[in-house]
Amino acid sequence: MVFSRALAVLLVAAAVAPLVLPPFFLQLLTEIAIIGLFATAFNLLMGFGGMVSFGHAAYFALGAYTAALLVKKAGWPVLLALPVTPVVAAAGALLFGFFIVRLSHTYFAMLSLAFGQIVYTVIFKWKGLTGGDDGLLDVWPPAALKSPAAYYYFALGVVGLAMWALAAIVDSPFGYALKAVRENPRRARFIGINVRRHQLVAFVISGAFSGLAGGLFAFYNGSVFPDFAYFTKSFEPLVVALLGGVQSFGGPLAGAFAFKVLEWLISRQWPVYWPLFLGSVVIVVIVVLPQGFVGLLGRRGWARPGQS
Amino acid sequence: MDFVTGLFPWITNGPLITVQVMSGLSVGMLLFLVSVGMSLIFGVTRIVNLAHGSFYMVGAYLMVTLVEVLPAQEWAFWAALLLAPFGVAALGGIIEIGLLRLIYRRDPLMQLILTFGLILVIGTLVLLAWGPDNKSVSRPDALAGSVRILGQPFPSYYLLVLGLAPVVAVTLWLIFYRTRWGMLIRAATVDREMLGALGVNVARLYTQVFMFGSWLAGLGGALAAPTVAVALGMDGDVLTTAFVVVVIGGLGSFAGTFISALLVGLLQSFGILIFPAVSIVLLFAIMAVVLIVRPWGLLGRPEE
Amino acid sequence: MRMRSRTTVSWVAVLSAFLAVAASAAPAGAQAKPIRIGEINSYSGLATVYTFPYREGIAMATKEINDAGGVLGRPLEFIFRDDKLKPDEAVKAARELVGQEKVDFLAGCISSGVGLAISAYAKEAKTLYFATHCQTSRLTWDDGHRYVAHTTNNVNQYIRALAKKAAATPYKKWAHISPDYEYGHNVWEEFIAYLKQLKPDVQVVQQNWPKLGETDHSSYVTALLQSGAEAMLSVVWGAQEIAFIKQARPFGLFDKVKLFSASVGNPDELDPLGKEAPLGAVTPGFAWYDDGMQKRHPKLAEWVKKYEARVKKEPTLGASWGYASTYIIAEAIKRAKSSDTDKVIAVLGEGYEMEFPWGKVIMRGCDMQAIPPQWTGVLKTNAQGKPVLGDIEESHGKDLIKSCDEVAKLRAAAGEKKK
Repeated sequence: MVFSRALAVLLVAAAVAPLVLPPFFLQLLTEIAIIGLFATAFNLLMGFGGMVSFGHAAYFALGAYTAALLVKKAGWPVLLALPVTPVVAAAGALLFGFFIVRLSHTYFAMLSLAFGQIVYTVIFKWKGLTGGDDGLLDVWPPAALKSPAAYYYFALGVVGLAMWALAAIVDSPFGYALKAVRENPRRARFIGINVRRHQLVAFVISGAFSGLAGGLFAFYNGSVFPDFAYFTKSFEPLVVALLGGVQSFGGPLAGAFAFKVLEWLISRQWPVYWPLFLGSVVIVVIVVLPQGFVGLLGRRGWARPGQS
Repeated sequence: MDFVTGLFPWITNGPLITVQVMSGLSVGMLLFLVSVGMSLIFGVTRIVNLAHGSFYMVGAYLMVTLVEVLPAQEWAFWAALLLAPFGVAALGGIIEIGLLRLIYRRDPLMQLILTFGLILVIGTLVLLAWGPDNKSVSRPDALAGSVRILGQPFPSYYLLVLGLAPVVAVTLWLIFYRTRWGMLIRAATVDREMLGALGVNVARLYTQVFMFGSWLAGLGGALAAPTVAVALGMDGDVLTTAFVVVVIGGLGSFAGTFISALLVGLLQSFGILIFPAVSIVLLFAIMAVVLIVRPWGLLGRPEE
Repeated sequence: MRMRSRTTVSWVAVLSAFLAVAASAAPAGAQAKPIRIGEINSYSGLATVYTFPYREGIAMATKEINDAGGVLGRPLEFIFRDDKLKPDEAVKAARELVGQEKVDFLAGCISSGVGLAISAYAKEAKTLYFATHCQTSRLTWDDGHRYVAHTTNNVNQYIRALAKKAAATPYKKWAHISPDYEYGHNVWEEFIAYLKQLKPDVQVVQQNWPKLGETDHSSYVTALLQSGAEAMLSVVWGAQEIAFIKQARPFGLFDKVKLFSASVGNPDELDPLGKEAPLGAVTPGFAWYDDGMQKRHPKLAEWVKKYEARVKKEPTLGASWGYASTYIIAEAIKRAKSSDTDKVIAVLGEGYEMEFPWGKVIMRGCDMQAIPPQWTGVLKTNAQGKPVLGDIEESHGKDLIKSCDEVAKLRAAAGEKKK
């Protein structure tokens, strides 16, 4: 993978941030990193795979609840619980994705939404296991990682590794096959690519990394609640990815940054107007995007290794 | 936990079952009014209009304002019921011409996401225009009480719904199958490009369809207003149910939506009595099953 | 990896804006240093019907206190944040208020889930949190700890007042309809436990748990009609209760079954219901307009007039809660002679009493839980034909609330469960 200059500057800035910024901003950046991971995982499906899911919050929530339950009820240490979150989320994505990828387009989106709401309802109603709408509280990282700066570095490290893995997947033969499927599924099938299998694998990978983001978020937030799985949460990675640009790998992360900062600035001054602002931004971003969806993800956006 | 079930005795209670069925059908009829607009819009424009619940809500709020503004006479209710949907249709027209037309060439999923943005915008505008307080519309005096059906009380207002909604349904059927405009709509649901190639102004048709669908949602909201609270958040509640109805019935299918709405209405009425624990998830589970087994719904048309 | 230049430009723009704001958001220099309270509540969306008047109550009390010289000579300042009804947003706001704005105390909540989440954070951050509008008893009991106090009544008190009134009636067969979430379960369980304690021959013939926000209750109405219940408790609230009542009335439900409701006496429900209000229903409420109330509490009419002059609307129970919470917080700081967290906690632990235009509010030391007066009444129409709460019976939470010993047992049991 080629490291461009912009990325290098970014990494240095991120490493140095705790020395310059007050703790609250470190926490904000931590959240940005986590949501950026979630949105990038989502965009693996949307931008690269051409599939839009409206139920991705389910995998995020599966990850968050796995992390919380392992730590609270089974007494596992955080560092052991976190790697399990993408596994559980992947299992969920496999189970649902098997059905979802058999559909396309609007129906794909709608079935993913239905499954997402089912996950939400199960979490909500299964009070004995999940605490229902009381949620699970006191889910904090160990003392060594608890300070804003410490968890910031930890989250940044995990997110960085995850992004690196996702970038590798995108640039791998699998990634190219996926893009080919997005461009023209019929032709991809003719040249021997198993379209359904590729889409399902992409779905599972996307779900897994969404779950990892959920796990990180559980420890960042200190508690988990059923509304982590609600469909309004599913729209968050979508809006974030659109905002930043679905054509590029780093777009969703940029979108996460812009979104969270704007949300913080506007919601503290004019809380009543935040939904109005958010809705308007969504509308404006969609209207202003230059071409159609597929043309949007045209050949221009995806750079190959070796190009700067 | 003491839970003495009184269910089994009443299952053999004929009059009670009848009244409950009629209740379920009323709910279903209201659902039909809201859902058919969404189904129609999808059938022609391929957009799933998520803002449909918001149109329903605006219809209900307009009903509140009209009833307040008009003189306190019996006819005021009926006048408001007549006018409110047109307000919503106007809103629909503005949205269609001002926003949706700009992105017609776009993937329908992008249009769907745009309608999601509209939910947030319209929701806040309603809060700003009408304030946060809960509102209510009273039933007209003539329909405020109840009648006796086989000895059981049944709200008179539901008789209006049971009477009006089929009239609307039949009128819609006549429009779709006996007018030229209806024929154009049906043609558009089959093949838009061909329609354009034949010289029909497809853009104007889209606007008309969107406005008509909004009008129907507004009518649903105005008609439902006296049976619920007119409050913020009513857009989300109705959207989820209408969405399920439309998917089960088949996006774009008029008859499918009708049957599905009645089924869902009956299910909601009886569901908690038969499956109390799972009724929330039941609708989404059914929707999932339909999408897995027969994505185009009961009477929809398979996509290519 | 290449970034599209437009994305890069937008990155840079937002990054610089971020840094600029970060730099400028550094705390200001010290003057007559205000006492700052970070208040987190739902100021967008459908909860605003409750939180807007509540915030007006806070504003009114704050102005009164500051006009009289402030607390310990320092002005009281509230900084408001919106939790969007989401517990994780509330935690985020709490972090900002404590970490960045450096507030002295946290306050707020309307949703019980949010309140519990803020409380958990406050415990971590060792910041004192005054829970206000939310009502779950778990805040100061099962999940109580040193860093959380509750400035209004909790579910236990106000529903026991209703249960006591219910126990004085001859109804033995009871049913209920409650929203299927924490608050709904909390209210019903507290009600029926106390009712059975006072009246052991009470029998529960049916339970109904619609989802929160359900719009169509026709099946529940039918079930209730067939339940054989003599009386019922309605725990559904707000828009949901309005819908339930509008749907149930024409079926004649309330002629057959006596209605007790946890909230229908509040203006946000009563005013929209208008002539469809279920007259004869027994319910708690803040009936400031009642002659008996105003006679018992001579300062009440004046308070109401002052509120109406400011806000141009009639006060709600929430407005009184905002007002009382502000004064309770101020009083704790005054008694501690400092805004230092540990000193204020010590004062709260000793407990104190305050007089308000509507009666005495006790801040109980063993659990830092406020205990105000309780009112139950019956729905009637006034001379103008508007539905109001009448025949008000006043009691006090102190005669109803669980004792300190019972609370200690609850906390121990909850602690066991966590292990």
